[in-house]
Amino acid sequence: MKKISLLSAMFMAFFVFTSNAMAVDTLEKISDSGTFIVGARDGAIPFGFHNDQNEHVGFSLDIAKEFHKALEEKLGKTLELKTIVVNPKTRIPLVANGNVHIVTGSATHTIPREDTVDFSLTFFLTGSQLLVKKDKGFASVKDLSGKKIGAAQGSTNEKTIRKLNESGYFNPEAKLVIYQEHTQGMLALNNGIIEAYCGDGSHLAGMKSKAKNADDYIIIGEMLSYDPYAFILPENDSNFRDFINEQLIRMFVDGRYMKYYDKWFGANGVVPFPMTDDFRTLIKLQSWPL
Amino acid sequence: MSFEWQVITNNFSFLMGGLLTTFQLAIIAISGGLALGILVGMARLSSIKPIYYPATLFVNLMRTQPLILVIFWFYFLIPIVLGNPIDAFTSAAIAFIIFEASYFAEIIRAGIQSISKGQVEAAYSTGFTYWQAMRYFIIPQALKNMLPSLITQGVVVFQDTSLAYVIGLREFLRSANVVDAREMRSVELYLFVGFVYFMICFSMSRICKRMELKKGAA
Amino acid sequence: MLNYDFKWSILWEEPYGGWILEGVATTLKLGALCCLFSFILGVIIGTLRITNYKPLRIFAEAYTEFFRDIPLLVQLFFWYFAVPSLMPETMRVWVYQEIPNFEFWVVVVGLSLYSSSRMAEQIRAGINSISPDQFNAALSTGFSHYQAYRYVIIPLAVRLVIPPLTTETLTVFKNTALAMTVGVLETTFMSQQVEAYTFHGLEATTAACVIYMIITLIVVGTMNWIEKMLAVPGLIIRKGANS
Repeated sequence: MKKISLLSAMFMAFFVFTSNAMAVDTLEKISDSGTFIVGARDGAIPFGFHNDQNEHVGFSLDIAKEFHKALEEKLGKTLELKTIVVNPKTRIPLVANGNVHIVTGSATHTIPREDTVDFSLTFFLTGSQLLVKKDKGFASVKDLSGKKIGAAQGSTNEKTIRKLNESGYFNPEAKLVIYQEHTQGMLALNNGIIEAYCGDGSHLAGMKSKAKNADDYIIIGEMLSYDPYAFILPENDSNFRDFINEQLIRMFVDGRYMKYYDKWFGANGVVPFPMTDDFRTLIKLQSWPL
Repeated sequence: MSFEWQVITNNFSFLMGGLLTTFQLAIIAISGGLALGILVGMARLSSIKPIYYPATLFVNLMRTQPLILVIFWFYFLIPIVLGNPIDAFTSAAIAFIIFEASYFAEIIRAGIQSISKGQVEAAYSTGFTYWQAMRYFIIPQALKNMLPSLITQGVVVFQDTSLAYVIGLREFLRSANVVDAREMRSVELYLFVGFVYFMICFSMSRICKRMELKKGAA
Repeated sequence: MLNYDFKWSILWEEPYGGWILEGVATTLKLGALCCLFSFILGVIIGTLRITNYKPLRIFAEAYTEFFRDIPLLVQLFFWYFAVPSLMPETMRVWVYQEIPNFEFWVVVVGLSLYSSSRMAEQIRAGINSISPDQFNAALSTGFSHYQAYRYVIIPLAVRLVIPPLTTETLTVFKNTALAMTVGVLETTFMSQQVEAYTFHGLEATTAACVIYMIITLIVVGTMNWIEKMLAVPGLIIRKGANS
């Protein structure tokens, strides 16, 4: 039965808005149950996805494993690490409900989301960019004025394109085509239905790397929006948040973070995504004294 | 452009996994929908108003809705009612059972109505209660009479399962979509998906037609 | 129960209420166009199915089976994602970049073809239900085959098939909801758009459900009106109401 309810927890349920969330003691919950439950993405390459051997792996999962190790040390006992697949619709409710202790995915830290949950320090920095076909010769984002640009429904990317249209950045206005998910956008791009697909840079890099004809694509443009990714944590549990942040800083400082970054995003990684200067500075600035 | 059919053979087991999910969902939807449909169909013929009116309202309401919307609706509603998130398959299965029940109910109702009053009375006169008469006598006959319509509806349900795509269920169509996003062979993949659906549905409707002919001849 | 704050007010808050209304307008436009085209195609195919000329009959039958036995969503994806790669590059660019509201027209094509096969079945059944005597009587008054169909059989059949066609028309309107999957901003799409912005999926989806209910009532009303307009007194009595 427990298994079923855990399996069930894998998806859905995005409405929980516990406005008067009570303070919870996540560390105590983990200690009592002997299980550390982590929500992770599937299909968000390379943050969390199933590889060719059908194993659930990724950058965020590697960091989750570090948290697991640190938790075992802190609590002084062996803990079971349980990963549950979450998606953009389920990730916040699952934490708010207490079904998972942390979501290590690829969620942008925004103020509206702070109403429901808390966030860790920023562990990844990206922003909206455009994926285009190389042979079309688009050099800058502006070149796509009057062209069809795809984006996923409800994403920050969709909002970014709307804003650029409203501000007159695109002249004539770009035609926005909204898809239910990234895979459809990728198909539309490949088949010439749209000229560009707007997504988070790191996501686009993942989509590109997964495609058979990866070399036909190129990611263009400066970051059109600012998307700092953070881990989703239960609301009003500063002990747990402090613990996670401390571990993250330790990883920043002792090089474990960069090791994982290189493993997944390095030149020979799964999704090459060179760290920008802003990103590097952000990591440095967040490395509070230990 | 040239066709590259290897994309099908290379990803065959993955695609068949999707087809298996489609079959599982279809079987649950058909059997569950039929079971619930029998109850609703009986309720639609009930002389007891508190039973008749809700059943009629349910059937007529469901039949005004696009299935895709019903799938979304249950996807949002069930977690609120249960207090727990549920997976896409369960959510889709519940939506299908409830939605298809309204269609099966109308078929069953017609089936029950096709049985002559005399037969029903004969059943009662042998001492059967309402439930016994329904269980051993009327429903089996109604099902038999309505078999072609039921199969036709079953084929419709089978096709309908492709809509579970929208809530992320990795059924046949989505698995083709996933492969497509990687391999970029839309034409081959959708032709293949279409072909498989066609072969299954076409042979079912052939069987159905033969049955109808047989029934006409008898 | 999960803690869920119902917030029905989002439905009349700007811009969400406006989005849904825009969606309704698109649904109505899409549905009406598809009904029209699928009816015309359905009449043609339905008539072909009962001609004496075998190749035409086989073509019509193949057409009906083909479009009926493949799920609509698969067909839409085929038209939208697969067909472009079959076109030459220049044509593709023109078709996909220059046609305004392209997504909308893909669905018009896909849904009309799909629905026409279902309409054709109803029309064939309608024509078949007219006794051959009527046809022979028409021929004996000196009508050609074409004229007999044009002036006697089809007008009679149209009246006979209105009740089943009402059901088909409703199906067309309901099926327009699938257009959301290829980015047409219709009612279902807009309800999900509201969900994406407000996280109030249940309210938005329920609103869409009510809208489809109203659309159904409008369609049934219109079809009843058409039926009344066309009714030949004393000739055809409608058996039972059709949903």
